This record gives sequence, C-alpha cells and structure tokens, in this order.
Amino acid sequence: MMSFDPYGNPTYFVLLFIALLPLMIGLLYGRRSHVYESIISFVFLLLTFGGVKWHTGIALICYLIYQITLVWLYSKYRQRPDSPNKGWVFVVSVILAIAPLAVVKITPAVSHGASSIIGFLGISYLTFKVVQTIMETRDGVIKEFHPVLFGQFLLFFPTISSGPIDRYRRFVKDYDSVPTREKYLGLVEKGVRYIFLGFFYKFILAYIFGTRMLPVVEHAALQAHGTVSWALLGVMYVYSMDLFFDFAGYSLFAVGVSYLMGVETPMNFNQPFKSKNIKDFWNRWHMTLSFWFRDFIYMRMVFFAMKHKIFKSRITTANVCYVINMLIMGFWHGETWYYIVYGLFHGFAMVINDAWLRYKKKHKEQIPSNKFTEYFAIFLTFNVVCFSFLIFSGFLDTLFFAPRP
Amino acid sequence: MSVSKRLFKIFGPIILAAILLLAVLLSPFSFGLNHVSKDTEEKAAVSLSANVLKGRQIKRQSLEDGYVPFFGSSEWSRFDPMHPSVLAEKYHRNYRPFLLGSRGTQSLTQYFVMQSVKKQITNKKAVFVISPQWFVPQGTRKDAFAYYYSPLQTTDWLQTEKNTEMDRYAAKRLLQMPSGSSDKTLADALARVAAGFRPTSAQMAYINYKARVLGSEDEFFSRFGIASKNLNTVNQQAQQLPSTYNYNKLDALAGKIGKAQTTSNSLEISNQFWKTQLKRNYKRLKGSQTHLNYTKSPEFADFQLVLNQFAQTHTDVLFIIPPINQRWSDYTGLSMDMIAKFDQKIRYQLTSQGFNNIVDLTQDGNQDYFMTDTIHLGWRGWLAVDQKVNPFLSKANTTKPKYKINDKFYSTKWQQLDPDELGSFETK
Repeated sequence: MMSFDPYGNPTYFVLLFIALLPLMIGLLYGRRSHVYESIISFVFLLLTFGGVKWHTGIALICYLIYQITLVWLYSKYRQRPDSPNKGWVFVVSVILAIAPLAVVKITPAVSHGASSIIGFLGISYLTFKVVQTIMETRDGVIKEFHPVLFGQFLLFFPTISSGPIDRYRRFVKDYDSVPTREKYLGLVEKGVRYIFLGFFYKFILAYIFGTRMLPVVEHAALQAHGTVSWALLGVMYVYSMDLFFDFAGYSLFAVGVSYLMGVETPMNFNQPFKSKNIKDFWNRWHMTLSFWFRDFIYMRMVFFAMKHKIFKSRITTANVCYVINMLIMGFWHGETWYYIVYGLFHGFAMVINDAWLRYKKKHKEQIPSNKFTEYFAIFLTFNVVCFSFLIFSGFLDTLFFAPRP
Repeated sequence: MSVSKRLFKIFGPIILAAILLLAVLLSPFSFGLNHVSKDTEEKAAVSLSANVLKGRQIKRQSLEDGYVPFFGSSEWSRFDPMHPSVLAEKYHRNYRPFLLGSRGTQSLTQYFVMQSVKKQITNKKAVFVISPQWFVPQGTRKDAFAYYYSPLQTTDWLQTEKNTEMDRYAAKRLLQMPSGSSDKTLADALARVAAGFRPTSAQMAYINYKARVLGSEDEFFSRFGIASKNLNTVNQQAQQLPSTYNYNKLDALAGKIGKAQTTSNSLEISNQFWKTQLKRNYKRLKGSQTHLNYTKSPEFADFQLVLNQFAQTHTDVLFIIPPINQRWSDYTGLSMDMIAKFDQKIRYQLTSQGFNNIVDLTQDGNQDYFMTDTIHLGWRGWLAVDQKVNPFLSKANTTKPKYKINDKFYSTKWQQLDPDELGSFETK
C-alpha cells in the first residue's frame, strides 16, 4: 500500500486535488457534504498513517478514543446545570490530556532514543487542540460538545501533522456552514496562491538551503579548527533559512488546502524576519503555537499569580511567567539540553526586551528613533533569533559532544 | 466578473504551466538544450560530481568529443602534478581522461554508469582502476550505492536488456538494494527480469515514460552546478611541471614533491590526509587490519557485470590494480599474503576471459612516494600508471580484443572461492 508524508511529493498533491475537486464544486454550488469530507479525510489519513506505518495508525485511533472520551466526560461534568466546577477535576483532566504526549516526549530521553509505541505524527498538535478545548469548556465559552464534530476537528487532515493549531469554536463555525459563492471564490484564489507560494518556499528555497547548502557548511564547521568558526556562522544562517522556508512552506500548504475546503485555518507566519524585537517576532513566527502558549499557559499563569498575589510587582510576575512559558515550550520540543536552553534563551530574551521597552518609554527624549535605529533593531532581532535557532538545531550538540572521526 | 472567468483567472495559469511542463518533459525534441559546451565538458571531466556520474548527456557528448572514460573510485580525487588528468593536459596528449567515480563507487555502480554510454564506449578504449578494498565480504555498501544510484541509468538499461545471465544478475543485485525497490513499478519489472521474464507491456510503457521524463530532466539540468574547483586544481598542478616530458626528470620531481608534502609522519602519507583523516585515529589503528580479507566477496560477481559489459561493447580496456602503502599495511597488519591471493583471483577472472591489459602494481607498495596516502596512488605511482596509460591510449588499435565471457563468474561459488582452489574451478 502507498504511504506518504503529507505534502511530501507531487503525487500527493495530484491525489489531493483529485479528491478535493468534487468538494470544491459542491462548495461552489452552496453544498457541503460532511460525509464526503469524512471519506477523503479517512483516505488521506490512511495514506499518512497506513502502509508500513500502520502501527502509528493504531496509536492514533487509540489516542482519539481516549481523548474524545476524556473531553466528553469533562464536558458532561462541566455542563451540568449544577456543576461544582472544581479546580482539581479540571487539573486532573488537563494532566490526563497531556499524559500521552508526555510519555511520547520522555520515552526517547530515558530509553536511548527509541520512540514510544503510542506516538504518531502530529500527536503534539492534537494535544494542543484537546487541552484548549478542555480549558475553554472550563471557562464556559464552549457550551455544547459534539463528540463527532470534535473528532472531525482533531482529524482535520490538512493540518493534522504539524498545525497550524486551530481553535474548536472557530473551526466548527466554518465547518458547519457554507461560504457564499463570492466568499468561496476568494478563498480558492487565496488558497491556490498559498499553495504555490508554499511550493516555492518548501521545494525550492528550503531545498537550496537545507539539502544543498546545509551539509556543506556543517561539514566545514566540523572540519574547522576549534569549535567556533566562520563556517559555524554559516550553519546558523543557513539552518535558520531552511527552518523557516521548510515550515512556512508546509504551513502554507495546510492553510491553502483548508481554504479550498472552505475552512479558514489561521496563518502561521507573518514575515518573521522583519520583526523589530523578540515580542514582535513571536507575534509573527509559528503564530498559532505562540498564541496558544500565550492564551493557555502564559495568561493563565499571570492570572493565577496575580489572584494569589505570589509576586509583589506586576513586572516580576510577567518576567517569571515569560521564562516558565518559554521553558515549557522548550520541554515540549523534546527532552534534550538544546531545546531546553532554547526555551530559556527566549524566556530571558523576552525579559530583556520588556526591560528595554520600559527604559525606552521612560527616556523617550534621549533615545533616537529613526529609520536607522529601526533597521538596526531588525538586524539585531534577526541575529538573536538565528542564534537561538542554532541552539535549537542541535548542531552544537554534534559539534561539542559527538565523537569526531 | 462571472464565476467561470474568475475560475479561469485562478486556475488558468496552473493549467497552462502544467501543459507546458508536460510538453517539454515528454516531447522528443530537445529545443537545442542538449548542446554541452566545451567548457562544461572540461569541468565535468574532472569534477568527480555525483550528478555528472548519474547523468547521461554530458558524458555522452564528452566521450564523443574524444574524452576517454577512466572508471574508478576515490583515487581520482588525488590531483597532484602526476595525476593522469594533469599529465594529459600539460603534455597535450591526444586523449583527455573523463574521470568516472569517487569515494564509494564500485563495480555495480560502474556497471550502471556504463549503461548510459554504451554506444560511446563501443569499439573504443577505456581505463578501469580496480580497488582491492571493494572486495570486502559484504560487498558494495547499500548507502554508497544509493548515493550514486541513477534511475535514468536503470531505465536506460531496462530498455535494452536482453535477459542474459548478466541482465538477470544485475536485476537481482539491484533488488537487493533499497534504491532498486524505491519505485514500485520498476521493482516489479526488475523482479520479472531477475526471474527470466520480459517486463510486462504496461511496465514497459511506464519504463519508456520514465526514461523520457528523466532524460529531459537530464538534458535541462545536468549542466548546472558543476564546480570548476577541480579543473582549477588541475591547471595549477600543471604549472609545476616542466614543459617537456622526460620520464626520469618527472620521476625525480615526483619524489621531490612527495617528500616535501609528507613531512608530518613517518608513513609517507600526505600531510593533508594525515592531518584531516589519520592523526586522530592513528594510535587505535595499529594492528587493526589483520583480519581484513578481500578474497571472498559478492564484488567478484558485480565485477563480472563490468567485464561482461565491456565484452558486449567490444571495449579495449586497460585495468590498473593499485598497491597499498607498505608502511601503512605493516602498521595496520594488513596481510600481504591475502593481497597476493586477491591479486591471483582477480587476475584469473580477467585473463581467463581474455582481458589481458593489466597494470598490476600490487608489488609496488614499498616504493617511496608511490602512494599519496594509505591506499591511493600519488606522485610516483601516478607517473608509473602514466607509463602504461599513455602508450595504450595514444597508439591506434592494432588488434581487436577477443573476450570470452563465462557466466560461471556470477556464481556464489566463484564469489566465495578460496584463491588456493583456483585450479579446481571449472570454467567450462
């Protein structure tokens, strides 16, 4: 049986287009068939999780049953008219929702790199969706829970492997309605443009940076005398470009295909290398992830700390939460020193950034602000970010610690 | 704007692009893009790039323009002043080597490389360097084979295969490699060939389609990104040579350069190789090669593919068997007895089938500055090679080679035969 990585090769796109054509014609004529959508979702999930990777398919099915049951039970509890809305029930539910992901992430760290049998491509992203649904159910903004719709939200195949991370309420609104013809044509136009921009990003630029240039500079950096070399600087920039164009290209495919299906999945990147500071960067880079962390971790920590008056000053509260927030993101990437350092690095970068912005506000008169300082800010942010990606890449691990031939 | 107009605006360019792409890839015309410039040929001949090796157009045209294929592996990258490409350039020989192979290319890869230039090597000459190090018990490495694997050469071969023992064996070997089963339809066709059947007509249609697309890709893209680094090295090295060719003077010069470039160690290994590859591991390599054995290997049958192909195209081939730096082999404990037995076995395979042009250097590992490092020819070694290569290529053919191919050399029995039992090997 055929088996594909999503958006991995031309055949995948041809099959995708053939499968989407009836659906697109339907939407153009104001009809949406959840049955047909479910069938093609099933087929494409089978292509991703079937064949030689069938055991990950089984893991996915078990995971789904587990999470839908969990969210359903919590909704039952929360949506009772007399619900006590106990904090501990909520906490236990969230822990149970995160448990499978935690197992998958920790397994390689404790068993010499072996991957967990309950893992599958995209488990992180499904976990984000589950946790967010539980939190919004606790908040009372999700008032009704449909196990089937929720399953379709989790399994929405264009975004299953690596996001963007949609929100349940936003998704259901699109998924349960039919756009007007005028609006749908607009979506198709944008979707096609995104997909083609994605081709350019992923199959041309990411190929040049990742497949052609990266091995060359990595080799040069490993051959160089000492650990720090010009080639290492090359690795830093080339890896950063590869990371961006590969992931942004993938995200464009996911968003573009969603649009063709009449679902406005949120964008993931907004010209991140034009950021003027680190905060600005996180509003432009992997946006659905950073917004998720902002809404469901950072804000909640800040509220919790303020409610319980843990810190005296608001600034301290914000700073501590920044660092913890980013540290959690680091741990989420994987249990290796470089992901954790990457998280800490960004946490402290946010703290420094805030301090600088406060200082700048206080000394508005003395600090010049013009085109040059703006370009300098962009340049500085870009380099700080690229350096963080060098940490993230794990190349330093190879360079410092791996035995060399 | 009407709906159909709007849809056309969205999808029109894509449809147009798709039609153009198909037209270009599938058309039998090359739009004048198949011309390879002399500069490109010159660069490609010494580039050692995997893309050139895997491609077709550049090799075909270069060989038609007088380049001679030099099949081999990692030795080609040792561009010192006595390297065959440098000598041919400097002394305006009537031939220029087209170097085919680099680290990790062995007989099986070379067999498929030949498939793309069959017409160009027919009734022509070639040079082939046989590395004893290829003949390890597990044979060619799967990852190295994958790195040099060319689907284009595979379809070229499948289009012309005649279901001989050679074809069946090649199909079988290809199927043992991950590369061979990377394309499902091709793998099915290979399985049929290996079992002694022709590919089905549907498979053949697919093969022809693939061949057309891959061939067009090759014509469009293969000339790009060929580095001129090696060509520059060749030209620089040529400047170190005196303007007239005199063997004794050159031999002295080769020794002088070798001496100057091997100052960092007592093994007469080039400083650069010593510094980058050996220094770190030097201690731990002492006595590490006592167990190496090059006398039993599937490589012997893979090598038979090469011989069989040369016989089929009536190519007049000069084989070179390089030695091993004796200072090095003494240090690592590599058995010279074993090397002698390997030599005996490979020579038997060559001479019993009529391949008699052999430059056997296996006894020359003890000569000073003959090798540039552990197992690669350099300075005086290259010059010794030139003593045989130059007359072989410069003089016109007098007699046609007469080869008698024996399919027994594909057998497991031959692959695993102990050279002491050569007498008992029945070639009939």
